Amino acid sequence: MTDATHRPARNKIVVWDLPTRVFHWLLVSCFVLAWLTSEDNRFLHVHVFAGYLMLGLLVFRLAWGFAGPRYARFGDFVHGWDNVRDYLRSLLQGRPQPFVGHNPAGGWAIIGMLLMGFVVTLSGIVVLGMEEGHGPLRGWMSPASAGVFRELHETGAGLFLALVGLHLLGVVVGALAHRENLVLAMITGRKWVEDIDTGVRHHSLLGAALLGLASMAAADYFAGYWLHGEEQAYQPFEGRPLPQSDTWNTECGDCHLAYHPTLLPARSWNKLLEQQHDHFGEDLDLDPDTLAELRAFANRYAAESGIDEPAYKINRSIPRDQTPLRITDTPYWRHKHEDIDAAVWRNPKVAGKSDCAACHLDAEQGTFEDSDMRLP
Amino acid sequence: MTDILRMLALCLLLGPMLAQAAALDDLLQQYAAEAQRPFSAEAGKRMWTQTHPSPKGGPDRSCSLCHGEDLSRVGKHARTGKKIDPLAPSVNPERLTDAKHMRKWLKRNCKWVLGRECTAQEKGDFLSYIRSQ
Ligand code: HEC
Ligand code: HEC
Ligand code: HEC
Repeated sequence: MTDATHRPARNKIVVWDLPTRVFHWLLVSCFVLAWLTSEDNRFLHVHVFAGYLMLGLLVFRLAWGFAGPRYARFGDFVHGWDNVRDYLRSLLQGRPQPFVGHNPAGGWAIIGMLLMGFVVTLSGIVVLGMEEGHGPLRGWMSPASAGVFRELHETGAGLFLALVGLHLLGVVVGALAHRENLVLAMITGRKWVEDIDTGVRHHSLLGAALLGLASMAAADYFAGYWLHGEEQAYQPFEGRPLPQSDTWNTECGDCHLAYHPTLLPARSWNKLLEQQHDHFGEDLDLDPDTLAELRAFANRYAAESGIDEPAYKINRSIPRDQTPLRITDTPYWRHKHEDIDAAVWRNPKVAGKSDCAACHLDAEQGTFEDSDMRLP
Repeated sequence: MTDILRMLALCLLLGPMLAQAAALDDLLQQYAAEAQRPFSAEAGKRMWTQTHPSPKGGPDRSCSLCHGEDLSRVGKHARTGKKIDPLAPSVNPERLTDAKHMRKWLKRNCKWVLGRECTAQEKGDFLSYIRSQ
């Protein structure tokens, strides 16, 4: 306590209660995790978890902004423009006005970040529902209209990142101008300030509950990784089950994967079935009844049906006047697989382009979830 | 009472097994009507690894190309790489239990390997060999 002798009027008092600190660092983790997993589809489920947790945290923070202790309240750090201007001016003059909680400029950065947090997570749920067919909004709208929300999601994330940059800049400037270690303060909750009674309690129980709840949610969400067996690798996303046909699975599933009808348009299936006696050099030798049944199933759930993301995107990618006989010849398939390393294709575990199951855990089900893909 | 239950359980267990064996026996009987000699697992075994030139210039073809020489092991489709469950009924009890399936694949595979459909004699020999594994 040597510092106390140098600065007799100051003391280390509690400014940030525990729930606010837990919120802050969990939000930081979610933000970083979501950014790191935003590019690679294989980690989509981690990305989605970070989003859900972030939304939960934001809702908590909203409530805490009204019900929480003094410095956690919006009323404490949301200032009018005059105050912000005065503060920034004092900062430029090198004599910044002191604030125990957030300063007026920082306050607005926080409001901006909370707002962007809501924009990004909510639009994310919409995109997840439309493009991937998951989450609470699945099946509400077709993938066709997802574009706007995807834009919103990505722009919001960019703005969020910019605000985080400003916030970090503020922390650095604050550290220099006020000679405060703001990072440490957000960890311990204490700041060296004038010895006043702020009335802030730690609310340790609520803080611990928040942390516990987040951990439980994570354990529940990722439990599959510990429970999965050798034979059946864990599939983070179980796709919405596609319609199946026993006839299709037995007649088309013995030589290779029974490719689901969603993977090619109806005209392709019809041509394939017409040419059944020369099926890539094989004679399928199907009797008329079986053939009729297969044709009906294929036409009903062909790519045009758009019942899932691959169906919609494969169909959209094929020019109207073309009838590809291979899934691996469709522009969408080619585009999605063009970046795969040549070494992967040489791996003996991959029998060829059409050996979908070598890389897609859910190839049998036909759902081709982004995150159920594992390169061997 | 317990005896009756035990008998019942036995019937439930054996019933399907017998029915399955019956499917194979029926099929063999049909083939036997057209065959010249009694079926021989030995002959089936010999034909199993016999190679035939491929009409398309690929590797020589044989039954073992996809199913392997050890029928108790998992096979691999020569063109698509898909794994094929073991054919040997001793490790895969579901094998040789469905006449339609057996007919279909004997026709298809014989055409693929030999370039023609197998005779009843050959089919019987193949099935006798697979059954003994
Ligand atoms: C007798 C074996 C056999 C059966 C039965 C069979 N196929 Fe095939 N199929 C093949 C072979 C061999 C290829 C070519 C594989 C290659 O070149 O990679 C193929 C390729 C395909 C392809 C192209 C895959 C790609 O590269 O995108 C499609 C689609 C297809 N089959 C659909 C079907 C359908 C539908 C049925 C059922 C009516 C069926 N197949 C039944 C042997 C079979
Ligand atoms: C060698 C491994 C490999 C094989 C074999 C393979 N894929 Fe893929 N597939 C991938 C990878 C890697 C991606 C992810 C590309 C990306 O995210 O940009 C992918 C992506 C996809 C997607 C897009 C998923 C999405 O929503 O973004 C579809 C659909 C798909 N594959 C279908 C197939 C089908 C059908 C086959 C078989 C005919 C197949 N794949 C064979 C590796 C493979
Ligand atoms: C090109 C690969 C390939 C070759 C070569 C091949 N088979 Fe098969 N065979 C298969 C496939 C695929 C199946 C069906 C998948 C399954 O039943 O698991 C099958 C199934 C069978 C079955 C049906 C088994 C049952 O339980 O009903 C028999 C019998 C059989 N094959 C015999 C033969 C014989 C005899 C030969 C040689 C003349 C042969 N196979 C060559 C691929 C092949």
